Amino acid sequence: MIIDTQLAALFTAGALIVIGIFGALFLDNLIKKVIALAFIGDGANLFLVSLGYKAGGIVYIFLPGMAMSNFSQNASYPLPYALVLTSIVIGASTMAVMLGIIIILNKKYGSISASKILGE
Amino acid sequence: MSLPNLLIPLMVIIPITCALFLNLLHERIRTVKVISIVVAFALPIIPLFANYGTHYFGGYAPLIQNPISADLPTLITGTALYIFHPAITYVYGSAQKLMIFILGIVGLFAIFISLYEVKKPSGVYIYLMLMGIASITAMLLSDDIFNLYVFFEIAALAQVGIVLVSKIKNNYETALKYMILGGIASPILLLGIALLLGVTGNVNITDIVYSIRNGLINPQSPVLLMACSLIIFGWLYGTGLPPFHVIKSAMYSKALPTGAALLQAFSVFSLVAFGVIIIRIFSYIPFTHVFLLAISLIAMVLGITMAITQTDFKRLIAFLAVGELGYIGAGFGLGTVFGITAGLFQAVNESIITALLFIGFGTIMYKTKETDMQKLGGMLVATPKSALFVLLAGIALAGVPPFNAFQSKLMLVQASLNSGLPEIAIIMVLMSIVTFMTFMRAFHTIYLRPKPVDLEIKNEKIPKITLVAMVIFLAICLLLGLYPHLATNFLQGLAMSIT
Amino acid sequence: MNIYDIILKKIKDIRMETGDNKPVTNIAASSMLTAEITLISSILIAIVILRLLNKNLMIVLAVLVFVLIFMAMPIMPKLKREQNDSLTSMNFYVIIALGIIVTLFYWGNLNV
Repeated sequence: MIIDTQLAALFTAGALIVIGIFGALFLDNLIKKVIALAFIGDGANLFLVSLGYKAGGIVYIFLPGMAMSNFSQNASYPLPYALVLTSIVIGASTMAVMLGIIIILNKKYGSISASKILGE
Repeated sequence: MSLPNLLIPLMVIIPITCALFLNLLHERIRTVKVISIVVAFALPIIPLFANYGTHYFGGYAPLIQNPISADLPTLITGTALYIFHPAITYVYGSAQKLMIFILGIVGLFAIFISLYEVKKPSGVYIYLMLMGIASITAMLLSDDIFNLYVFFEIAALAQVGIVLVSKIKNNYETALKYMILGGIASPILLLGIALLLGVTGNVNITDIVYSIRNGLINPQSPVLLMACSLIIFGWLYGTGLPPFHVIKSAMYSKALPTGAALLQAFSVFSLVAFGVIIIRIFSYIPFTHVFLLAISLIAMVLGITMAITQTDFKRLIAFLAVGELGYIGAGFGLGTVFGITAGLFQAVNESIITALLFIGFGTIMYKTKETDMQKLGGMLVATPKSALFVLLAGIALAGVPPFNAFQSKLMLVQASLNSGLPEIAIIMVLMSIVTFMTFMRAFHTIYLRPKPVDLEIKNEKIPKITLVAMVIFLAICLLLGLYPHLATNFLQGLAMSIT
Repeated sequence: MNIYDIILKKIKDIRMETGDNKPVTNIAASSMLTAEITLISSILIAIVILRLLNKNLMIVLAVLVFVLIFMAMPIMPKLKREQNDSLTSMNFYVIIALGIIVTLFYWGNLNV
């Protein structure tokens, strides 16, 4: 392995956020803008989930027959996984509302260009 | 568990459950009305009966309070794990009681007016209002920063919903703009929370503060500084401080008057909820205070100078509301017990006064369907009673005795003088004067100058409930203005515990 | 040409640029003027806070800002034009603000 898995995940997360911000600033097509926003959200989620990573770790479920010391030393950190599920659901619902509004605005303007619809 | 302690989670659960239920039966007007009225009354009443205390969801109290902990090895009892909170924790103190009560009062009248101003009340609108109120209540109660983020997002969606149902021109565009900006700001906030989680391994705020104070982690760690900046950025988005003041004021102006009254209360209380957390966790970084003061001053100056130049009266009140948020932020930025108490008091006052202003000016929209001040005039004859209440509200907003904002602004001025920053006191007084001037200009153009020939005034009577709401809001303003210790006694405990 | 006329002319110019054809009323001009004075006075007062950092710096900055403001007058119409409802400009300022906040907190605290 050339690069540590966790580090790679963190770099990917950073790249996703930067690309997302760039897209949200400079893309004119509203659907593309929403996709860029999804990138930012995904970057944050990936960052959150990679915090719980542990090299060579095991699943954090204590099964019968496991040695307590082995489990406590090797189990990965469970909290980020629990949190990220909620966060993904929130992101999905926000995106659904945004796309819904875009559908309505498309009917009104006949276009999904941000400069045309969301100008002054 | 005794009943009064069970009331703490019910403050959030009841509005959410009823909201979901109302959404299902939005065609049956009678049922919607009955349920809405019952829940609306429950909003301010439950906090009055709940006992102070903490609620652990799932009953997972910290090990130190748990009877099984006697048998645990010293590996656990000897470390901080012993006192950490495993469950999502809600803390209900006296300050939360007052703020949730005030939020409940604003919500109660917003729901009542929206039920009686329209012929066919919409279950969806009530649903959105209740969801917003429930999430802001949860934000005030929660001691868990991720739980706070979740409710912050629900509140943002509820706010967008309130704007979407208003049927005011260009509301969809404004809502989409708000969501796009939120799409940038909320992940940034989440990233800040994730950094905090990464450093401390915790999402419970009490535990995070414990870790920082007791040297479990390095307080000067650059990751913590980064987390602080990202969380503050998310806070700016949630509350509408600059650079989000333009979109936030646009949101207020695209909502119905009742919706706008609620939206500003949401902003005020999310400012308080997040501000308290920022002060609790990051007050050891001296720059936090400097930044809070600076952004508050910018909010005051930009909000109020932009308000002067507006021609749409809803936008004018909206910008004034943003400017007033600066006062609360300045109280937090001063960082002293007195300053934070003053800031919290100002938050309580502002949420009532601005709600009153939005509802009061809403009567103009009800009568004329017009918001452009250049086309309005002579409304004093058409709505004499509400004109009087609006005038009193404006006087209260500017901080004229005997109303409540006078007391809180006086406290803020004193707090900044005590901190050795008379310049901030001067700017606050200056801004109060300009606020009053701005308000009087709007009042004069709408009510006092001769009526334009082409202005049509509908002959419908303003619903009694609107006037009742305004009278009760004014009564609260007057009560808190004459007896400020009624509020400050409640708020001081929180201010003392976070400094 | 006195300052009032200059401001009135500037407001008219900006109205022309944005295609806003409403007549410039007395009340609009005077509120612009009030906003301008409020803005300038509060900026100048806020600069005095820098005395806690360094007195000489405060004096130099106060004079400098005063001159700059006087040369750039009227500021308010420009400021209002910047704070418009267009998504692109709001987006731009949000990202700029994010950059400023992160920079200030990160480097400001590490190097003090």
